[in-house]
Amino acid sequence: MIAVIIVRDGVLPSGFDEAICEADRRTFLVGSHLSEALPGITPYSQSTWTLDIDTSVVPMPTMASIIAESLRHIGAQGDSIILPSSPDGRDIAPHLAFVLGRALYAGATYVSAEVVTVARRGGLHLVDFRPPSSFVATLQIGVRGADIRNDADGQHDVVDVTASSTASFVSLSRSVEIVEVQPPDASTMDLAEAPRILGGGAGLDDAEAFEQLQRIAGALGASMGVTRVITDRGWADHNRQIGTTGVVVDPRLYISFGISGAVQHTSGLGHPDHIISVNTDAHCPMMQISDVAIVADANGVLSALESLLLARASSGPSQQGDI
Amino acid sequence: MSSARHVVVCVKWTPVEPNVSSSTSTTATIDERFTGMSLADQAALELALHTGEATGSDVIVITAGPAGADKILREALACGATRALRIDMGSAATSMHTADAVASAIDSLPDVGLIWCGDYSSDRGSGSFPAFLAAHLGLEQALGLIRVEFPPTGALPLQVVRRLDGGRRERSIVRAKAVLSVEGSLVRLRRASLSSSLSAQSRPVEVLESTVDDNSGSESSILRPYRPRARTIPAPSGVTPLDRIRSVTEASSPKGSSEPITLEPRDAAEMILQRLQAWGYIS
Amino acid sequence: MVPNSSHETWDADVIVVGAGPAGSCAALAAARGGLNVVLLERGPFPGSKNMYGGVVYPRILDELIPEWWTTAPIQRWVVKRSTMLLSDTGALNIEYRGTSWGQPPYNGATAFRPDFDNWLADQAVAAGATLLCSTTVTSLVRDERGRVVGVDTDRPDGILRAPLVIACDGVNSFLAKDAGLYPAVDASNFTLGVKETLSLPRSVIDERFGVRDDHGVDIEILGGTAGVNGGGFIYTNSDSVSLGVVLKLPKLAAQSKRPEEIIGELKRHPAIAPLVEGAEILEYSAHVIPEAGLSMMPKMVADGLLVAGDAAALCLAAGIWLEGVNFAMASGMYAGLTAVDSRAAKDSSARLLKKYTDRLEASFVLRDHRKLRRVPELVLSDRVQHSYPSFVTSVVERMFHVDNPNPKPGLRKIVREERKRAGISLRHLLRDGWIGMRGFG
Ligand SMILES: Cc1cc2nc3c(=O)[nH]c(=O)nc-3n(C[C@H](O)[C@H](O)[C@H](O)COP(=O)(O)OP(=O)(O)OC[C@H]3O[C@@H](n4cnc5c(N)ncnc54)[C@H](O)[C@@H]3O)c2cc1C
Ligand SMILES: Cc1cc2nc3c(=O)[nH]c(=O)nc-3n(C[C@H](O)[C@H](O)[C@H](O)COP(=O)(O)OP(=O)(O)OC[C@H]3O[C@@H](n4cnc5c(N)ncnc54)[C@H](O)[C@@H]3O)c2cc1C
Ligand SMILES: Nc1ncnc2c1ncn2[C@@H]1O[C@H](COP(=O)(O)O)[C@@H](O)[C@H]1O
Repeated sequence: MIAVIIVRDGVLPSGFDEAICEADRRTFLVGSHLSEALPGITPYSQSTWTLDIDTSVVPMPTMASIIAESLRHIGAQGDSIILPSSPDGRDIAPHLAFVLGRALYAGATYVSAEVVTVARRGGLHLVDFRPPSSFVATLQIGVRGADIRNDADGQHDVVDVTASSTASFVSLSRSVEIVEVQPPDASTMDLAEAPRILGGGAGLDDAEAFEQLQRIAGALGASMGVTRVITDRGWADHNRQIGTTGVVVDPRLYISFGISGAVQHTSGLGHPDHIISVNTDAHCPMMQISDVAIVADANGVLSALESLLLARASSGPSQQGDI
Repeated sequence: MSSARHVVVCVKWTPVEPNVSSSTSTTATIDERFTGMSLADQAALELALHTGEATGSDVIVITAGPAGADKILREALACGATRALRIDMGSAATSMHTADAVASAIDSLPDVGLIWCGDYSSDRGSGSFPAFLAAHLGLEQALGLIRVEFPPTGALPLQVVRRLDGGRRERSIVRAKAVLSVEGSLVRLRRASLSSSLSAQSRPVEVLESTVDDNSGSESSILRPYRPRARTIPAPSGVTPLDRIRSVTEASSPKGSSEPITLEPRDAAEMILQRLQAWGYIS
Repeated sequence: MVPNSSHETWDADVIVVGAGPAGSCAALAAARGGLNVVLLERGPFPGSKNMYGGVVYPRILDELIPEWWTTAPIQRWVVKRSTMLLSDTGALNIEYRGTSWGQPPYNGATAFRPDFDNWLADQAVAAGATLLCSTTVTSLVRDERGRVVGVDTDRPDGILRAPLVIACDGVNSFLAKDAGLYPAVDASNFTLGVKETLSLPRSVIDERFGVRDDHGVDIEILGGTAGVNGGGFIYTNSDSVSLGVVLKLPKLAAQSKRPEEIIGELKRHPAIAPLVEGAEILEYSAHVIPEAGLSMMPKMVADGLLVAGDAAALCLAAGIWLEGVNFAMASGMYAGLTAVDSRAAKDSSARLLKKYTDRLEASFVLRDHRKLRRVPELVLSDRVQHSYPSFVTSVVERMFHVDNPNPKPGLRKIVREERKRAGISLRHLLRDGWIGMRGFG
């Protein structure tokens, strides 16, 4: 197996380390300014091949053909391919599967030669497959963790396979042209760095519940985060979304209200010291990873919590959170 | 090519309120009452209708699926789509095969411009169909869009924004026909008028035989509830042996050592505050 | 928009508002009669948001859907009906098992409304009615003479016109009020129904309730509602149990208790706890019920308008007596039949539409309501609610309590002592007994 990692301007995608570990520490690094990315790879990868190419100017189908060709070149044509399910990984994986004529397992939580496990229904269920001898898979971010290789200071084989012909693609007229990559929005930073987060999901009934959640978070010195279902409904802004496609956070305390704990959400959650969850479904994944799992109507709990906090605030001084 | 004759939108018939308890129900049986289009597909349809209006072109809504899927095609017709095509297929076909079948249908349409999709479906949720479609059609793609700006007249060029990881965003320009997929939050689908809703009930849905053998690519539908995988942890860090042990035990234990407890809202709130106090978050 | 009545172009022969039991039966009967019917429903599908206790008595469907029991989506056939009187610590249970109720043509059944209503609406569609969901009627459209000639909806270009509208939009009918058919609404005429669906394995239900196969139980409860006047119920579904309370609104408002607390107390009652032990809450819902029977019924007919089902307050919610779906189906059917007459006569004036009320008068719909006229008031009275359950259970307890070596006291003595202790005057007891006999007997 081999991990294919797309690098943009030296920036590694999230989940690169996990994909490398899942693929037996064999890495094919594709992209630009690779020298900046290599130090990040070294602790995880045993054997690495690099292909220097500006992925943002090459059309996907062409990109996929170049990668397929290069893999043949290094004798990895029979290897199954694992990509992290980052936006770039998700973009190119179907094209790789298409040019190679292979099965694609998108959003896998476990990949091996014998079994591939894929998340379904928004990450609430799993399906197991017995894969063919070679396939393409994208690995959900945050599901396995990554361990540094034993001999981290030892040998790391790096072979450059940069193709000679890539420059010519730059001049092609493109129907989709990338203009710029914008850095993370400053407004997401408070969430990314918040030590306490109150998260709300589809178990909360309406937009007002999120205003209430925001108020309670304020009273507890915490920030508010939400699931994608909520940003899809327009009840909270994009920069509040926690997860693979949202903000990756790492609070000490996480309290979830009506969140099922889909892998795309929990993968962005870091490693809180304490997790409290309120959900009507005692068995959903979010409850399973909680220190305190409360089966109750989250809407009711929010209201009760707000009135308790109000009562506390009026009954004594300095009841603020100790941020 | 700002006035291609056809705008295409691909929508998928899926459960919309999978109100199943994750511990008890893992069967993939579809209750037709709780089915429809995902918010992402609704957003795609709205943008396709907008494109059609901006360029005076026909909007063709396509789905691959069983007869029950006609329901969402009628919804699209009621909202203003010109034609509805259903490629008759089981819902178990893989995204690669489904995209293959849809691509052949699109190939048979003359002069197609933009192709709109949702960014991921609510059941399979692989987000791979749009890229497969682009691969089959040999088109470029811009996937997972969270912003789309139309020019003052016509449909192109589009200014689009999508998310990258780590909170970064990518801004692109779409100049010619391509496959685009959008997140559900992007726009709300318009509400169909009363008369078109009523007349859509009797409007025809064109049904095409699938060009691919959908059994060849069927996938198993045996679902099991999600269980977190044991996580590999980084080598223990910390100065003292105790610190190292702590760092391992704290990071690795999939938590949830405590059993779920059922409480009335008021008691639940009390309990939360009490725990926060015990853990030293509040005084 | 004011439509021009002299030169009408109708969109349909009849518009039915609301695809509950009343609306679907109205649409079915009218479509069978060859009418062009549009059935409008605000939910995403019929029955999607409709809640009730859980038992239907579909006998009336024999006329519309012969052998309905072969296709109706039911949970269990009710073969056992009990009435339970609860005091704080005791319970008296009166039970009737009807063996014939477990076989065709059946009597009552537990069913889920999202299943049952959807099935009923499907029958209407199969008969030719056009059903449009996710569409809320926002007002009636009238011509310059005040006759109803259609409805306006929340969709763009939302007006739909027809010579006859049948309002089946449920309790607190917005349409009937819009048409001025309701007397001033009085909160004391309403009760609040709250219900939990509790999941239990099939085999556990069979064992605890003493049934098997697709047979089930209907338990109605008096007392046990924590001092708020009302009643309770427990119904068995296939693999869940519906448990709920029906509470008088003014009393509830005066109490500080929330409905969910009252349900919680009921569940902890020693007579109920063993039945629902270990069950997980699947769903919680609440709904207002018109309870006062005949005394609050609106006028059901106006020019171009018929009102059926709960919209016409045709519901019997007398604590232990919870029926409404059967009245809704029947009144809907009679409204649909009247629509056919109206179409044939090309006349939708209130004068012709009076046929509808004639039909209701001749049927069980209004007869039952007449008969049970004063029962809601009685069942929900303070005496029945607070004094009788503990009175009756104490009497029974003392009767069966073995206090040897003392001899058993005579029944008459027990009754007198307990009646005094409960503060019930003999006059009241006799009068209430008389009303009850006339109503239920
Ligand atoms: C490619 C891709 C990327 C994604 N990226 C992200 C991402 O970055 N972030 C993200 O969050 N999601 C992401 N998702 C979506 C993710 O898969 C889930 O769909 C989403 O996280 C679920 O959100 P939820 O928990 O709010 O909703 P649901 O899964 O619908 O869960 C709602 C929960 O509320 C509970 N509930 C219901 N009623 C009540 C009540 N009254 N009281 C208490 N609890 C109640 C239910 O039991 C349930 O557990 C992504 C999906 C895909 C396919
Ligand atoms: C707690 C409780 C327990 C009960 N238990 C029982 C029982 O066990 N057995 C029994 O027989 N009866 C019971 N009933 C009574 C029964 O539920 C009603 O009598 C019955 O549902 C009435 O049917 P309907 O068709 O008139 O109205 P509904 O069932 O209320 O249907 C009205 C329909 O109209 C739609 N609607 C409303 N307004 C609009 C609008 N503006 N535009 C479009 N559509 C609209 C609604 O969405 C709904 O589908 C109970 C009621 C309650 C509240
Ligand atoms: N069977 C299908 N028919 C039509 N469009 C589909 C189908 N499956 C997926 N799509 C489109 O592809 C998007 C992503 O779906 P998926 O790849 O299944 O996550 C959906 O939002 C649809 O726009």
